[in-house]
Amino acid sequence: MHRLAIFRGLLPPIDRPAYSEGVRAMAPLTIAIAVWGLVTGVAMVNSGLSIPMALLMTFTVFAGSAQLAVLPLLATSAPLPVVWVTALLVNLRFVIFAAASRKAFVMLPWQQRMLAGYLNGDLGFALFSRRFADDPERGHPIQWGYFYGGAVVNWVAWMGSSVVGIFLGGLAPTDWGLELGAYLALLAVLIPMVHRLPVVAGVLVTGVISVTTVNFPLRLGLLLAVLAGVAVAVGVENLRPSGTPHGVAAVAADITDEGEVV
Amino acid sequence: MVSTAYLIAATVGLTLVTIATRSSFFMLPARIELPAGVERALRYAPACALTAIIAQGVLAREQQPYVNVHNYEMWAILAAAVVFAKTRNMVAMMVVGMAVFTALRLAF
Repeated sequence: MHRLAIFRGLLPPIDRPAYSEGVRAMAPLTIAIAVWGLVTGVAMVNSGLSIPMALLMTFTVFAGSAQLAVLPLLATSAPLPVVWVTALLVNLRFVIFAAASRKAFVMLPWQQRMLAGYLNGDLGFALFSRRFADDPERGHPIQWGYFYGGAVVNWVAWMGSSVVGIFLGGLAPTDWGLELGAYLALLAVLIPMVHRLPVVAGVLVTGVISVTTVNFPLRLGLLLAVLAGVAVAVGVENLRPSGTPHGVAAVAADITDEGEVV
Repeated sequence: MVSTAYLIAATVGLTLVTIATRSSFFMLPARIELPAGVERALRYAPACALTAIIAQGVLAREQQPYVNVHNYEMWAILAAAVVFAKTRNMVAMMVVGMAVFTALRLAF
């Protein structure tokens, strides 16, 4: 048991049946996770990363949509701040997820909170918040067990498929259009977010501006397009504020389009 | 050729971005809440950022807009978007997208 001591400091108390329940809840999603991981692994190698570099990125960054988003930037040696800001923009949804699920974790030691947050991706968050939506108690071993059951399955499915993708990536001819797979995977994250008038308006404005400013230096067109799109979305929301959910939990559910996860 | 030092620096920064966003409100004191105005901007930024990346990747070539009937990736993305919006099936969407692209590429 002493080999597990290092994990004990990083993990909160876990209820075994709840852990199994979390595993079973995430299990049906492993196919989608594996497709994603495979596409991301292939895309990393196809965009020019060496196999060790792609493995390093996979095992540290652990954020598929951000990884896919920055690959075209890395391939052209875009300035590092541009790379990081792009990833930050894509990842901002996680800030809302963290705000919405913090009450189950705030009482834990900081290293346990940090690890739980690191593992709190789209699917895990969606399952967790749906399972405990009506649970008034804050932070107990059943919640932590369920969370880690899902998180472990997600991590294993993601890492396993990413590694397979990394080793397969170099084998396929480039004219198969496999880089299209990366954009298709991003599309799967985008579409569930676009189901309300403000975000539809914001996305259309962003799309037009990003294409017309694609020749701007330092990929500044991308940032400009996102700022304009967000401003338009907020403006449209202001026209009819009552039609949009508010409060972190409602906003998070709105972003993940929770009812559609499975 | 992209340098290894550049990629390692990029990866370290990206890892910090993951931790800073996912763990953000897990680390902050409970009395700090997300201000309503910030919440509204945050909710729209990811959708806009993903759109900008996909649009620049698919609707542009060599730093110039490339929106025309010969852009097979554009048709593939549109077909995939319709399939995913209707079915929410990621595998079906991927298969349709790649099939449309491959069919157009081989046909023309």
